[in-house]
Amino acid sequence: MITLEQVNKVFHLPHDRKITLRQRFVSVFQKNTYERLYALRDINLNVKQGEFLGVIGKNGSGKSTLLKLIARVLEPTSGRISVKANVAPFLELGVGFQWDSTVKDNIFLYGALLGMSRKEIADKYNWIIEFSGIERFVDAKLKNLSSGMQVRLGFSITVSVDTPILLVDEVLAVGDIDFQQKCYDSFKSFKKNGRTIVFVSHDLNAVETFCDRVVLLENGIVRGIAAPLSILEEYRRQF
Amino acid sequence: MLIKQKEELMSLYTETYKHTNRSGRKNYLYLILVMAATDFKVKYDNSALGYLWSLLKPLLMFGTLYLVFSVFVRWNVENYKLYLLLGIILWNFLAEVTLNSMVLLEGKAPIIKKIYFPRWIIVVASSLTSLLTLLLNIVVFFFFFIFSGTPFHPSALLLVLYLIELYVLSVGIALLLCALYPKFRDIHHIWEVFVQLGFWATPIIYPISIVAQKYHKFIFLNPMARIIQGSRQAIIGPPGDFVGVANHLIIILTAAAFFLVGLRLFNKLSHSFAEDL
Repeated sequence: MITLEQVNKVFHLPHDRKITLRQRFVSVFQKNTYERLYALRDINLNVKQGEFLGVIGKNGSGKSTLLKLIARVLEPTSGRISVKANVAPFLELGVGFQWDSTVKDNIFLYGALLGMSRKEIADKYNWIIEFSGIERFVDAKLKNLSSGMQVRLGFSITVSVDTPILLVDEVLAVGDIDFQQKCYDSFKSFKKNGRTIVFVSHDLNAVETFCDRVVLLENGIVRGIAAPLSILEEYRRQF
Repeated sequence: MLIKQKEELMSLYTETYKHTNRSGRKNYLYLILVMAATDFKVKYDNSALGYLWSLLKPLLMFGTLYLVFSVFVRWNVENYKLYLLLGIILWNFLAEVTLNSMVLLEGKAPIIKKIYFPRWIIVVASSLTSLLTLLLNIVVFFFFFIFSGTPFHPSALLLVLYLIELYVLSVGIALLLCALYPKFRDIHHIWEVFVQLGFWATPIIYPISIVAQKYHKFIFLNPMARIIQGSRQAIIGPPGDFVGVANHLIIILTAAAFFLVGLRLFNKLSHSFAEDL
């Protein structure tokens, strides 16, 4: 379903970022200095259909970059990535919203971005509102919603699409207990329906409960891919 | 050690990457429409007159310039009112599409960082809002046209062709500018100056007859001058060279060149938009 072959991702973090012509012009004779950040190095990964893959690792280990590469938001510096079906990404606490628009408009816009037709979104509209628990605020501007509500809305829209692949990054950190429980329930039904899921989380209990295999990342390198128990043991041993 | 690192880096950059994504959806039309509708709402939602502004802006500009150039300064142009209004409407479209697309690209940064979709959709969606304004303005223009009692020539139907040429040219330039924008932000300011410059370098408020013949060839290097002059001759008259096939050919070739170069550059550079914006 998802295959990564020798994927590298290098970020160039300039010490002094030049984003205007003026800055570039003034500094033609200065040396461009920047840090090379090897976010991911030589990643080989194969996710099978219907697999629930967990990704764990410390902050800065490359988890989010990995998901963004699979979601095609970022391009790899080198290597091959092949994704064999449509992807619904839920990256780093939320989705890209239009802050000045109403909740309703955002649902239609984001649904369309995920590839849904007007009819599909209209059919799922009530489910999305109910699942995110924001019935009272459909006509409110999105920027006036609390951060918890925004995340819940984003997650609800993302999972409402029937894409074969779902990428989930840190959804459970923000929601309350009720919402977490709803998420867990929906994970169970995704598994039953044979959707392929890549799940990034610091919640080791959730990883242990749901994942078939777990990837442990450390400084952009895969430390291990195996069944949850052995990987989690190795990860806990680091502390 | 250092050499080894360098070699490693070189190999990193010379290798090619490939991202194959078998996307099952081909229907981007709905996405374009939703995005355009959202932009339109956001743009006019917070102003008291709302959507009316999109009509009022060119009309107010027309009113001001008309006052100055038909009361204080007098050109010897038949139907100067129509002549001026049409020029302003067409020029405004180019200015709006090219400048707005960069603003909207910036505004879409949160979405670009979170989800993949072909980035050109942003530019096309933003052009649709301006296209709606343009068509409404054309309707207003024809009100003036009917009231002025100018006889209708069948050649006025050529306006459709000029509008298509104008649209392709504008979107082409917008793609070109948007491609460069994330890395060179001040291109927005530079382009603003260019739009001002172009407004005066194009015979919009003044008749081309006041410009010495030897400068004509420079003025008509600008495809906008050809589009505006041509549509005037087609609708308002008197008929002239700019209605002819040669003029259309020149405009179409220029517009297509801008569009193809713009699209190519945009598709090339948009891969890194999520990092640059």
